[in-house]
Amino acid sequence: MSPDTPTPVDTGLLEGRVALVTGGAAGIGLGIATAMAEQGATVVLAARRLENGEPAAESLRAAGHRARCVRCDVTSRDDLEEAVAAAVEEFGRLDCLVHNAVGGSAAPGPLEGIGDGWRGLLATTVRASFDTAQVAHPHLAAAGGSLVFLTSAAGMEGSANLPAYAMVKASQRALAKSLSREWGSDGIRVNCIAPVAMTPAMARAYAANPELEERLVERTPLRRIGDPVEDIGPVAVFLASDLARFVTGQTIVADGGGFLGL
Amino acid sequence: MGLQTLLCGDGPLASDLADRLTETGSDVSVVEPSGLLDRAEAAARVDAAVAGLGGLDLLVHVLSAPPTPTDLVDLDTDDWAAAAEAPMAVGLHLLQVARPHLANGSRVVHVLPTSAMGGAPGFAATATAAEGLRALNKSAARQWGPAGITTAVVAVAPELALGLLAATEGAALADAALGGPGGAGQLADLLEVLASPGAAFTTGSTIVADGGTWMAP
Repeated sequence: MSPDTPTPVDTGLLEGRVALVTGGAAGIGLGIATAMAEQGATVVLAARRLENGEPAAESLRAAGHRARCVRCDVTSRDDLEEAVAAAVEEFGRLDCLVHNAVGGSAAPGPLEGIGDGWRGLLATTVRASFDTAQVAHPHLAAAGGSLVFLTSAAGMEGSANLPAYAMVKASQRALAKSLSREWGSDGIRVNCIAPVAMTPAMARAYAANPELEERLVERTPLRRIGDPVEDIGPVAVFLASDLARFVTGQTIVADGGGFLGL
Repeated sequence: MGLQTLLCGDGPLASDLADRLTETGSDVSVVEPSGLLDRAEAAARVDAAVAGLGGLDLLVHVLSAPPTPTDLVDLDTDDWAAAAEAPMAVGLHLLQVARPHLANGSRVVHVLPTSAMGGAPGFAATATAAEGLRALNKSAARQWGPAGITTAVVAVAPELALGLLAATEGAALADAALGGPGGAGQLADLLEVLASPGAAFTTGSTIVADGGTWMAP
C-alpha cells in the first residue's frame, strides 16, 4: 500500500454484529474477517483445516477482537449447518455470511482440456453458495442481515486462461441477483465482491510467473495489487453495515480499476 | 440459409427453433442435454450428429428451465443440481466435444434468458446456470477467436426461455417496446444473421432479443 494512501479508520460500523466467513483462515477471507473485527464484529472463521484457522482466530483475539474458528469444508452441507449453528449458539445471531472459500482445480489452459477437476470448483462455489444461502437464510432473516459472495471479474469478461473458473464465478452473480429479489422482503441483502488482492495463491502465481505482478500492476489504474485487509475488507464491511442498507443484488469490483466493464 | 446446425436443447423453444431453422433451409440435428452429462457420451452423440450433418456451421445451446418456479429456500438439492449445475456441465461438455468440428467461420450461440443478467425470483437455479454459460461463451470467444471461431449469446425474454410469465415479475422496468417477447421465428432470423459473414467481427457479445424490454447497458 502506498504510504500516502489513507487507511480506513476504526469506526465500529459492525459493533454487535456477528459474521461468518468461509475460507476465513487466510487470504481474502482472513482479510475480510480482520476488517470486520476491526469494525467491532464478532467473527467466525470457517476453515477447512483447524490447524490453519485456529492460529488465525487466535491472532485476532490477541489483537483484542472477538473471533473463533470452526472447522468447515464448504462442500459438506453438514459442515455448513454445524458452522452456522455454532455461530448462532455461541454468539446468539448471524448478521452476515461471506462465502469466500473456493477450491478445486483451476489450472490455466484450453477449454477442451478441462477435466473433472473443475467439479471441485463447482462444488465449492456453486453448490456451496446454494447450501450457505439455504442454511443461513433463517438467521439472516431474523437479523435483517446480508449475504456476500466473492466472485471475480473473470465471470464478467470471460477468461482465456480459466474458463471453468469464469463460469462458476459468473453464476454466483446471477444467484445473488435472484436471491436479492427473493429475499428483499425478508430484509436480507445479497451482494457480491469481485476482488483482486495479494493472497497466498497470488504469491504462488507470482513465484511461478515472475512477470505476472508487473503485468497486473501495469494494467491496474491504481498501480498496485489490493491488500486483503485494507482494500477488500472495507468493501465487505460496507456491504455488511447499515451504510449499505439500500444496496442489494450488486457486484462491487475491488481491483484498483482493472475491470471497468460494469 | 443452409446452415449445418447442431442444436442442444429439450424445451419448447429449442423444438420450435429447430423447426424454424429447418423451414428456412438449414440442416438441423438436435441433441438432448441429458445425453451430454457424461463427456464420453457427449462426444459420441455430437460426433454422430455432426457426421450426419456433414459439417458444423452453427452450434446452438438453448437453456431450458424447470416447469414451475420455486423459491430457493424451498428447492431441494437434487432440483438445484438439475437446474443450476447440470446445464453448466452440459454446456462445457458440448463445447469441448464440438470443438474438433468447428472451423474458421463457425459460430457458437447460447440462447439464454435475460434473467442471467437480472436474476429471476423462483428461477434462481436457472439464472445461475444461464450466467455461468454466458461467461463460458465469452471464454470460448477469447480462446477460439484466433481460429476464426466466433461466439455470441442471444438473451431472450424470460417468458420465452422459461415459459412462464411469473419469471418476469418485477424484472423489467417497462413492457417490451416492440409489443411482446417474440418467438422462435424472430430468434431463427437472428441466428442466421449471426452466422453470416456480416456478423463475423462480433464475438463474445450478448445480443438481447426480447422485443425491447431489457435495454441495459
